[in-house]
Amino acid sequence: MPHTIDDICRRVAEILNVPVTRAAPDTVLTDLVSDSFRLVEMVIQLQEEYDVIIGQRDITDVRTVGQLAALVRARIVEA
Amino acid sequence: MPLHDDELFLLSYYRTSEINGSLFFGRLARTVRSGPIQHDLSKHFADEAQHAWYWTRCIDRLRSRPIPMASGYQDQYLEAAGLPVNLMEVLAITLVFEQRVINQYSRHLELSGLDPEIADTFDRIMADERWHLKWVRDALVGMESRYGKEHIAATIARNRAADGEVYAKTLAEYEARLSFLFGQRTFGQPTEES
Repeated sequence: MPHTIDDICRRVAEILNVPVTRAAPDTVLTDLVSDSFRLVEMVIQLQEEYDVIIGQRDITDVRTVGQLAALVRARIVEA
Repeated sequence: MPLHDDELFLLSYYRTSEINGSLFFGRLARTVRSGPIQHDLSKHFADEAQHAWYWTRCIDRLRSRPIPMASGYQDQYLEAAGLPVNLMEVLAITLVFEQRVINQYSRHLELSGLDPEIADTFDRIMADERWHLKWVRDALVGMESRYGKEHIAATIARNRAADGEVYAKTLAEYEARLSFLFGQRTFGQPTEES
């Protein structure tokens, strides 16, 4: 199936320019980059690439790479 | 005669806000996919950088030096409104911010006895600011089918509330400096037309 959780985690790593091994599902996003706006850019880029919408309220409880990937995956499935 | 300290502070504050706006839009212009939004966002980024230069040059021509400032109005505004995480939220935040900028600059421009150098700088910038407002408003209308008209309106309203809160806080924080320039005048909420 296209765009698995692992695929999306890998894409997060690529966008943030960190080794794939660092962007494991349980990695806390703010541990990957300290600049919060860099995370915003990454989330916008994921939406552009996967053609999904994520809003401020959706992301309130997202802390880890895996949670973000699951959210993106859920949006892809819904679309 | 060099600028009065309070006036220098305010022009330096404008300069910093333009620099921060440029950095914000520059980063977004790097991220969004090709198309009309990327096109207009790139122009917006370039305009903000140019405005920062205009303020730098204006201050210099008035025989003063810009005061370095790390943060501007946007930083507090983004903190109050929360970081946007999609393009619609970015544009909603931008719409409210641009209305605030035009409102603030218009009020400043109305001051009697304003140095022609400062008035000229405002005139140059305002023409761009009006275009910023137009392209952002048009882009938001174009997003209605994707994000929902009501959701967009609610997002704008939420950001307007955050802006009102931050603006009041900013006025209170810099009351002494602003009262020198504006007497007891206070500025209202930005209007749709401003």
